[in-house]
Amino acid sequence: MDRSGTIIHVSSTFAAGLLFLAIFLSGLSIVLLVRKWHREPDRGAAPDWSIPTIDAYADTPSFFHNWDPAVKIGSLFPYCFLVVSLKSLFWCAVALIVSLLALFFSNIPWQRGLRRLTAMSGFLLMFLLIVPFTSPAKPGETLILLPMLDSLPFHLNGFYLALTIVIKAFAIALMMEPMLGTSSLPITLQGLVRLGVPSAIIQMILLTHRYIFVFQQEIIRMYRSMRVRGFTARTDFTTMKTMGNFFGMLFISSFDRTQKVYEAMLCRGYQGSFPTFSLPQTRREDLAKGGLWIMIGILLLVFDRTLPVLAP
Amino acid sequence: MHQINSNYRDDSGQKVQELLFKLDGLSFTYPDGKTALREISLAIRRGDRIALVGKNGSGKSTLVRHLNGILPLQSGSLHYQGKALTPGILAAMRLNIGILFQDPDNHLFCNSLYEDVAFGPMNKGLNRDQVDQLVKSCLDDVGLLHLMYKPAHQLSYGQKKRAALAAILAMQPEVLILDEPTANLDPKQEQIFKKLLSAFQGTLIIIDHDLLFLYDICDRAVVLAEGRIHHDYSFQELVSQQHALREHGLDFTFRFSCCGKDHHHLSASSHHHHHPTHDHGTNDSHATAADKTTPILELQHFSYQYPDKTAGIIDVNLIVRPGEAIALVGENGAGKSTLAACLLGLHRGEGFFFSRGRQLDQGLRRSLWKQIGMVFQNSADQLFCPSCWEEVAFGPQQMGLSTNEVELRVAEALHNVRLTGYEKRVPLNMSGGERKRLAIAAALSMQPEVLILDEPTASLDPQSQELLLDILNHLAMTRILITHDMFFIRELSRRTLVMHQSRIICDYPTSSFLADTHLQGINGLDYTYKNHCLEQIMDLQDQNRG
Repeated sequence: MDRSGTIIHVSSTFAAGLLFLAIFLSGLSIVLLVRKWHREPDRGAAPDWSIPTIDAYADTPSFFHNWDPAVKIGSLFPYCFLVVSLKSLFWCAVALIVSLLALFFSNIPWQRGLRRLTAMSGFLLMFLLIVPFTSPAKPGETLILLPMLDSLPFHLNGFYLALTIVIKAFAIALMMEPMLGTSSLPITLQGLVRLGVPSAIIQMILLTHRYIFVFQQEIIRMYRSMRVRGFTARTDFTTMKTMGNFFGMLFISSFDRTQKVYEAMLCRGYQGSFPTFSLPQTRREDLAKGGLWIMIGILLLVFDRTLPVLAP
Repeated sequence: MHQINSNYRDDSGQKVQELLFKLDGLSFTYPDGKTALREISLAIRRGDRIALVGKNGSGKSTLVRHLNGILPLQSGSLHYQGKALTPGILAAMRLNIGILFQDPDNHLFCNSLYEDVAFGPMNKGLNRDQVDQLVKSCLDDVGLLHLMYKPAHQLSYGQKKRAALAAILAMQPEVLILDEPTANLDPKQEQIFKKLLSAFQGTLIIIDHDLLFLYDICDRAVVLAEGRIHHDYSFQELVSQQHALREHGLDFTFRFSCCGKDHHHLSASSHHHHHPTHDHGTNDSHATAADKTTPILELQHFSYQYPDKTAGIIDVNLIVRPGEAIALVGENGAGKSTLAACLLGLHRGEGFFFSRGRQLDQGLRRSLWKQIGMVFQNSADQLFCPSCWEEVAFGPQQMGLSTNEVELRVAEALHNVRLTGYEKRVPLNMSGGERKRLAIAAALSMQPEVLILDEPTASLDPQSQELLLDILNHLAMTRILITHDMFFIRELSRRTLVMHQSRIICDYPTSSFLADTHLQGINGLDYTYKNHCLEQIMDLQDQNRG
């Protein structure tokens, strides 16, 4: 291993201080989250279901709400691929800012974006912790030696690499809200149909989104009835047999339900496709918005390649 | 067996309406070899209001699934408005025939109520404004306009059932077919159905075991037995002939001792007030009532909130003593099943929970299942084994009993529910009534001190109900019965708890509950509205005997 680059030795006191700070901040976040959970007075209050859920976040149409879903997906999706192609930390951070601005202008509450990021933060945090210690050493790179971990140096390059990936992931995850959260699911799926996605796949997505909750409820009810008869999952043959019966019965009931849902659809005039009112024609304005986003993506990529700042 | 294929409208000299369906020699056999329909010949005219009745498994659902071409014709003929069913006619015909199946989840396959209700009208080719107007009007009729954009999975069972009806009505069908429309609904929601169906102007075909519900709605009865039409006459004729009712498992006259005429459970000995005492001990629990037997279960100031912070039960005080027979009533969503789940230890709430005088700790909670048995509303949720023997043996095996003891308990439990000889039968292939009894046997084999039954009579034919009543009457253990069925409440309970909006609002003897005229004002539940139907039917039967 070439160790001719900079090596920074971190003193025990400094490392302990950092560790303490990290633990303190984590603890504080947990306490604040728990207190917020308990304080929230209106969680039990029923939302107003007399208006479409998507409109609950936008009284006036936003830049993204007004956009033809086909063009919106057709341009934001390639934009996301362009963001994935970025290499330097700086331009990834710019992409993250673009995503934050998009979230802001889409009139979607920031909490929704935060929830999305929280869901993936566990995995990304592990990534941030592991990659700096395990990435291959490069000539001239800076290594940080932590107390009692002399054989496992912290690679600054590896840290940049992990940070770049995390920021790219955040930037793309945040773009999902303006891309998919500013139209209802059926409208978004209609957009996908316009983009050439087969209608059968779209119907499967629609039905899956609906019935995943029904099957979830069935699983909960059936497992509950096993629990009240004393069932506790163990690592033994009896548990395997019981779970085999459980999944077998679930399969049969799912199959049965599929048949019945299909019959109910036939009874209401289903002839192979979900009825939709046709979407409005694509306007020049929609195409201009699409062009703008593709342009932003291309510019980011060009700057990333020509002016790399903090590239790992 | 005798076949009466009279067209009562012709005989009575009334105006004969246009023929809508003409079935001739229709037979159907399922792929497993079970013959469901045999030589069915039937004429249905525009404006007919038919009650299609018969035992579970008599072929009713199979017959209506032929009426809009879901099942293919195997033999015989079926004509709709004089035309044989061809693929071209089928598509148009289905848009004019609305079928409401038993399970509302099968009807609600879109992502919001609006989309679900709009599905049919959109398939009819109506324009956006017409669809919008229809959707709103139909949702308003079933009282769900304020939930227009709610996803179906977030609705209660009663709301789903009403939403499914709205989805059918929005198609403006000329024929409306309903399969068990009111199963598991509280009296208030039943009334909504009754009002809408009474107002429906088209042809109506209803499959239901609740003849009292059908009494004011239908004027013609078609009785099926073993796949054949046994009777086809006026509804009044059906209910006035007790022997015919009994022959087809429809005899609900075992319920006739109600109507406020025979309240023989007048003892107030079991009465205790909802808040018996508010003396609190040092730990804030109620002071011990030393003079009474130790309760099996006791809740004090017990509340439970769902993870989304919706109230499940609020400040419940409840004492369950050995040998008590308790009925738990209230509107759909009042918190009855949640209370049962709390008693089973499935939900951990706040407050005090005592079992045999000991406050519930982690260890005691884990062993609650040995003490309390539960029969869930839907037997399908409870039965998952490949044979009846294994199903009933599951609980005792989890208790770690010896093989001999397990065999003894299984045999006894199956005997108690009249299912001896069913050991090797596959639960999935059994009738609704048999499955319900099997679910009870599965709980009984654990010999619990308390047995909780959630809506045991739902979807059962009167004969199965009568058998169930007999079985439950012979159980010696403490019983908690969750039901809307007034007759079962009266026959099987001595004490009634009324729940409303997550609280127990009344806790009194069943006799007082039956005489309580104020409940309707509190929770909108009218448990007595069927009494006048019963009285009229009793008069009809008396006249028939005379």
